[in-house]
Amino acid sequence: MQRNLAKVASVVGVGHTDWRGDYVRTRNGEKPRDCIGYGADAFKVALADAGLQVSDIDGLIVGPTTPYERIGEVLGIDARWGGQADAMLGIIQACMAIRSGLAEVVALVYGNNQRSGGTNYGGDNAAGGGSFLSYIYHAPWGFTSQGALYAMMFRRYMELSGLTSAELGEVAVAQRMGSSLNPNAIMQERITVEDYLQSAFVCEPLHLFDYCLINDGGVALIVAEAGRAKHIRPDPVLIHAVGRYDLNKGATSLEPRLTNFYLPAQQKVAEQVFNMAGIGPRDVSSLQVYDSFSCHIPLALEGYGYCGVGEAGKFMRESGISLQGQLPVNTSGGHLSESYMQGWNHQIEAVRQLRGQCGARQVADCRYVHYSSDVAGKAVSILYGR
Amino acid sequence: MANSKPVLGIDDLPMWASMERGQLELQRCNDCGSFRYPPAPVCPKCLSVVAAWTPVSGKGKILSWVVFHRKYFDNHPPPYNSVAVELEEGPIIVTQLEGPEPAGSWIGQPVVLGYGEHTGRMRHHACLAAKG
Repeated sequence: MQRNLAKVASVVGVGHTDWRGDYVRTRNGEKPRDCIGYGADAFKVALADAGLQVSDIDGLIVGPTTPYERIGEVLGIDARWGGQADAMLGIIQACMAIRSGLAEVVALVYGNNQRSGGTNYGGDNAAGGGSFLSYIYHAPWGFTSQGALYAMMFRRYMELSGLTSAELGEVAVAQRMGSSLNPNAIMQERITVEDYLQSAFVCEPLHLFDYCLINDGGVALIVAEAGRAKHIRPDPVLIHAVGRYDLNKGATSLEPRLTNFYLPAQQKVAEQVFNMAGIGPRDVSSLQVYDSFSCHIPLALEGYGYCGVGEAGKFMRESGISLQGQLPVNTSGGHLSESYMQGWNHQIEAVRQLRGQCGARQVADCRYVHYSSDVAGKAVSILYGR
Repeated sequence: MANSKPVLGIDDLPMWASMERGQLELQRCNDCGSFRYPPAPVCPKCLSVVAAWTPVSGKGKILSWVVFHRKYFDNHPPPYNSVAVELEEGPIIVTQLEGPEPAGSWIGQPVVLGYGEHTGRMRHHACLAAKG
């Protein structure tokens, strides 16, 4: 009996809200939807994309910013298996539920009104403090915000590796190239490394362009058992591997950030997912990285073996991570330029690239897309393929 | 916006009391001898529940630093720094460097903890120490 989660499930439907339109509306002070409304809108799009009915759904996973029961109530879904999870864990849980026979067609629904609702990621009542003590523990010394945590981590990385600000700027520039070719992206104006270097610091050494957007919106995915998925649509996107490794020791004192930049966690996950899928980094057509901040990208490039340890700056500058580079990264624009949907929008981009639906930003002959996140030292990967 | 405030769990209170006295104390495990930070109910190295609040020397070195250019708290007007310091006893703490700043990289610079009042509460800060 196969015990792992390779090729157990496929994505058959994706949907999202009007990020661009809602960005303008919320900037004008409007509140188009609450988190449940955004989730519901996205679910309807995903269901239609899959060509399914609500009655086909027997599993429901709801994102952390949205109450599970209320989403199920609003959408009229009783589930024989359900739960609450972030994007990365949600995909893994869907695979686990399907593998174990607890569900066959799982809807994943996420909605977030973080812009119109005034969510703060730093300062008093910083979001996430209840789950991650490091987000709030050092406030008496002014040290607050997830951006500052990554700034502290990446400053040391830059000093030890020699990676320059201009090299880090390659991330924001490359992702803006992708978003300039993405009609759904909030930020579509291209920028240069010079623009990046002249942008203001938020928490030095990180500039404004290193930070993700904060916007309202929703995302939904429909994940189905792989055999059934082939009957749902002709081009299901298969989940070839999933993996996770968590660094918890010393997390609040920042030890795993500052002593090894989360690399051991990413290296363990790399071994797990590449073995499960039977491929290596060279087989990956596009990398999608959870990018609250640009510096996630160079760390992922090293952690998953796309370049050597300490060589990410050179790799980004010489090999390239834009659509014109050797390894296109965050081709939609990611959190920095498309939409900050806490990892959920990266799953949609992976699916669209593999379906060949990305138009001017399509990666040629896209075979495998690797998604990676390392939020607070919890390294997760998903390998998608055709 | 509001002032910054400390996390005051039941294990944190003795540490904040020690800073009020101008001498940071951390828990040292009675069984394996390791210091731990933040304060915690058991030793993460050996799970012992027996520990003694022990003064730290205050000597350490800077692991990394940042400079805030955005305002997050009323009582922390930017620009200001935060530094991560590895104490010679082992734990890594976050504090602020006060007084003269290093000319180039701050990493590896030896520091010593000092104490001062901030928004009605005594807390530690770091000052550059003579090398050697």
